[in-house]
Amino acid sequence: MGNNKVHADQKYIEALLKNDTLVLKEIYEKFAPKVVGYIKKNSGDESKTQDIIQETLMTIYAQAKEKKLVLTCPFDAYFFLLCKRKWLNELKKNNKQKVTINEEIVSIGDESEQYANETMIFEARNELFSEIFEQLGKACKELLKATFTIKSMEDVASKLGKSYGYVRKKKSLCIGQLTKMVQSSPKYNQIKNLL
Amino acid sequence: MTPEEKYELFERKISNEISIEEDQLLSQIIEDDQAIAEEFKTYQEWNSYLSSNLGLDTEKAQLANNLKNISDTFFTKETQKTKSKVIKMPSWGYAVAASVLVLLGVYTFTKSTTPIYNDFVSIPELSISERANTNEIGKKAEEAFNSNNYKEAEVFLNQLLEEDKSNSEYLFYYGISLVELNEFEKASEVFTTLQNGTSIYKYRAIWFEALNQLKQKNTDRCKVLLELIPKEAQDYQTAQELLEEL
Repeated sequence: MGNNKVHADQKYIEALLKNDTLVLKEIYEKFAPKVVGYIKKNSGDESKTQDIIQETLMTIYAQAKEKKLVLTCPFDAYFFLLCKRKWLNELKKNNKQKVTINEEIVSIGDESEQYANETMIFEARNELFSEIFEQLGKACKELLKATFTIKSMEDVASKLGKSYGYVRKKKSLCIGQLTKMVQSSPKYNQIKNLL
Repeated sequence: MTPEEKYELFERKISNEISIEEDQLLSQIIEDDQAIAEEFKTYQEWNSYLSSNLGLDTEKAQLANNLKNISDTFFTKETQKTKSKVIKMPSWGYAVAASVLVLLGVYTFTKSTTPIYNDFVSIPELSISERANTNEIGKKAEEAFNSNNYKEAEVFLNQLLEEDKSNSEYLFYYGISLVELNEFEKASEVFTTLQNGTSIYKYRAIWFEALNQLKQKNTDRCKVLLELIPKEAQDYQTAQELLEEL
């Protein structure tokens, strides 16, 4: 990926980054009906579909923001695949009985599948990191929140009444701690090479 | 190198505050030690995660909010589309609907002149306490019944009937109490017993059973019963009036 030409559907990724209502509406009008159809056929309803679509779009946004996601394939198949897998995971999680998966025959190019895989791994990483961050001590959490929200380390230092050097050292220790914590997680070892 | 020094070096590298010497040192360590190389990669991953997740709360919330609004509008429209397919009414349908409403109004108006139970019922007074042998329960039953407290009257009359099962007076007032309490089936049983007997309450029981049916809007059953009341009966006149109105 990345060697191909940027697809015209990159406009949907940009719309998420810019919070462009007009184009976001187009996403719903063009791509939501297919997802509604699939989820309804597979033990879901419109309200569940709404949640699945919202979560999927938020994940795509997060990936685009952090990892500079650039599409070289159509949005349609990539988006549908993501919603579909998210829904199947949801069903598995709830351990629903008697669920028959009515598979639709959709021809999905390898590229869409590869994009979808990357987004799924990105999401798994986010979930894991969020869990681990919550386990961090209060002092570290607050310091990290301050340094990443305020951006300027000088401002953080003066706000905390500490020296710049002290804050940077503390920050590095806190991230160091997170690094150790996540490295000891079996889940991380499964996904780290895919990141 | 202590872990503290290592993490600070990572931090300097990421925030571009590293000296040339330190940068060379870090590159050397990463090349030599696979574990540190992995650690540095993970440290970078955390830095990237934290800057996206801790610093973008407002932007994220705004997008989530906007998506929710767009989604709500979209899904409401979808639902309406499905519904309108089912109930779409041609323009002449409104005229039909209006006519139906008018007819309903006429029907309701006509209906409201149909006789109702309350218009015809006249509940006699219960007077058992006048008799010498009346016990305490009898008094209570009378008091309750004559003050329209049928719930209590039912209980006391029932107690009296336990001692005197064939007492037609107790049965009759017991039946009336049951109709007042909307215990229609039990009331019918009581009145049927009286109707089949030979007591002075025989015809009165038919009349009250007719009222019992009227209260349940069983007009046909009510009419049949009214026709059973003979001319000499106390309630004949009223029964004929009700029959006419039905």
